[in-house]
Amino acid sequence: MRRFLHLMASLVVTAAVAVFSLLPLYWIVLTSLKRPGTEFRLPLRPWPAEVSLESYRTVLGPGFEVQHAIRNSLIVSSAVTVGALLLAGLAAYAIARLRFRYRVQSLALIQLAGMTPPIVVIAPTFVLIRSLGLLSTLPGLILPNIAYSIPLSTWLIASYFANLPFDLEDAAQTDGWPPWQVFFRVMLPLAAPGFFSAGVLVFLGSWGEFMLALTVSMGLPEAQTAPVAIMGFTQAFQLQWAWVSAGIVLSLLPVIALVLLFQRAVVQGLTTGAVRY
Amino acid sequence: MRRRETTIALLFLAPAFAALAVFLFYPIVQTAIYSLFDLQYTTRWRQAAFVGLDNYRQVLSSRAFWGAMGFTLLFTAAAVALEFVLGLAMALATFWVAPPLRGVLRAIIVVPWAIPPIIQASMWRWLFNTDVGLMAALAVGLGLAERPPLFLADPRLAVLSVILAYVWRGSAITAIFLMGGLAMVPQHLLDAAKVDGARAWMRLRRITLPLILPTILVVLLFRTLDALRVFDIVYGLTGGGPGTTTETLSSFAYKFYFTFVQFGRGSAYALVIYGMVLALSLAYVRRILPHLRFR
Repeated sequence: MRRFLHLMASLVVTAAVAVFSLLPLYWIVLTSLKRPGTEFRLPLRPWPAEVSLESYRTVLGPGFEVQHAIRNSLIVSSAVTVGALLLAGLAAYAIARLRFRYRVQSLALIQLAGMTPPIVVIAPTFVLIRSLGLLSTLPGLILPNIAYSIPLSTWLIASYFANLPFDLEDAAQTDGWPPWQVFFRVMLPLAAPGFFSAGVLVFLGSWGEFMLALTVSMGLPEAQTAPVAIMGFTQAFQLQWAWVSAGIVLSLLPVIALVLLFQRAVVQGLTTGAVRY
Repeated sequence: MRRRETTIALLFLAPAFAALAVFLFYPIVQTAIYSLFDLQYTTRWRQAAFVGLDNYRQVLSSRAFWGAMGFTLLFTAAAVALEFVLGLAMALATFWVAPPLRGVLRAIIVVPWAIPPIIQASMWRWLFNTDVGLMAALAVGLGLAERPPLFLADPRLAVLSVILAYVWRGSAITAIFLMGGLAMVPQHLLDAAKVDGARAWMRLRRITLPLILPTILVVLLFRTLDALRVFDIVYGLTGGGPGTTTETLSSFAYKFYFTFVQFGRGSAYALVIYGMVLALSLAYVRRILPHLRFR
């Protein structure tokens, strides 16, 4: 009986959290399925009266092409993930496995850099990107985002490296392997889960990055990422919420799928920093 | 041998530090320099007039700055406190519910965190719509208001709306962090206390919370740093309005940069934010420094 009551109470608690966490998203999905033009109609119903995919057809069609922005986001986030993991992996290897003076200090400095608010760097970065001729281009977004992603990924990968045994690495060194080979052929495969977890977080982080994306894209669709495009829709179509909602749903699909698929890696990565001290 | 290891380490560190130098360290210094010049975006660097601390004097004596500062601090205090209460409740719930529901609950909690803040701002704009918004319907339905409230047009409600929208995502990440801390609390301690007759509230206050205190401190610090620099949700939800009610230091600095194209004035704003953030970050790094020991 007690067990049954606990289960019932658990269901109530889970439902309450579900309402809090998912209702806003559900509301957007609901709006996106309304026939455009009916989104301001009363009374409000918690389920769709009729399901229309017209808004999706509209935002994927000419003039909107939200898929273009999503593709830009996919390119940017993938490139940033690869770049950041490579640079952070090398740095993390030095910090966690090699003996030299100031290794603790270099990690501390990297972490300090990671806490820089974007507003402190945005103006000179804009000037720099402009003088490199990279305004309104994807590389103009990718390069700074790699730098922004290094602190978190260095932290996660170094934490993972620190818990690996030394024997394989020592054996490879005794056999006279050069350091880069030890890194790429021994350490990288061993630390794959750490890299993976860091990679998912970097991907999500750069997917959602807004201030730089807004500034560098200069309002041109060629370099608009999904968040910038959605903000543009929101400002341009104040009365077409079925369209805007459809755009939001489409641009959220990749990230929500990623988070739910790799939930364990996400939670583990996020808590690595917070629980160690 | 030792010298060789140092050389290798420096080579491995060089690419990361080069990237950080170009896109973080250099811009920080450059912003500090900008803040000493009367610099318009269209002005060539050499022609800009050096004005010393004049930008800071102007900024610190303007009502707009203190308005933004006041809102940023109020926002930070309210948001971090609310996030903590909600996040802790959700984190505890994931350990309390019957085992078959734990995975489901975790998956549900993570979802708001996955949504980028700026996209969230768009979502909440629609949810806060006065005529057909979900929040207006809820407020009237629950008897909190007689007529649909003007969430984003009424100054006081706009402040509340921005905080609520931010907390929706913030409480999710707070819960995820705290779940990590809670997972490290030894179950046998809680069981022993239970056998000794300690009630749930007692166990929470005397065992769980003291044990996860280090995690709590780190979470509060991270969330404070994030709230102090808030930009996306304000930019997307209210644009700082109505008037300048919900303008934060970051959103105002951005306007100085890219709307008024006054890089000097904007940089002064940015440096004020950086001062606050840096003080907290240094305290944090100092705290973790002794723990950063490998091999």
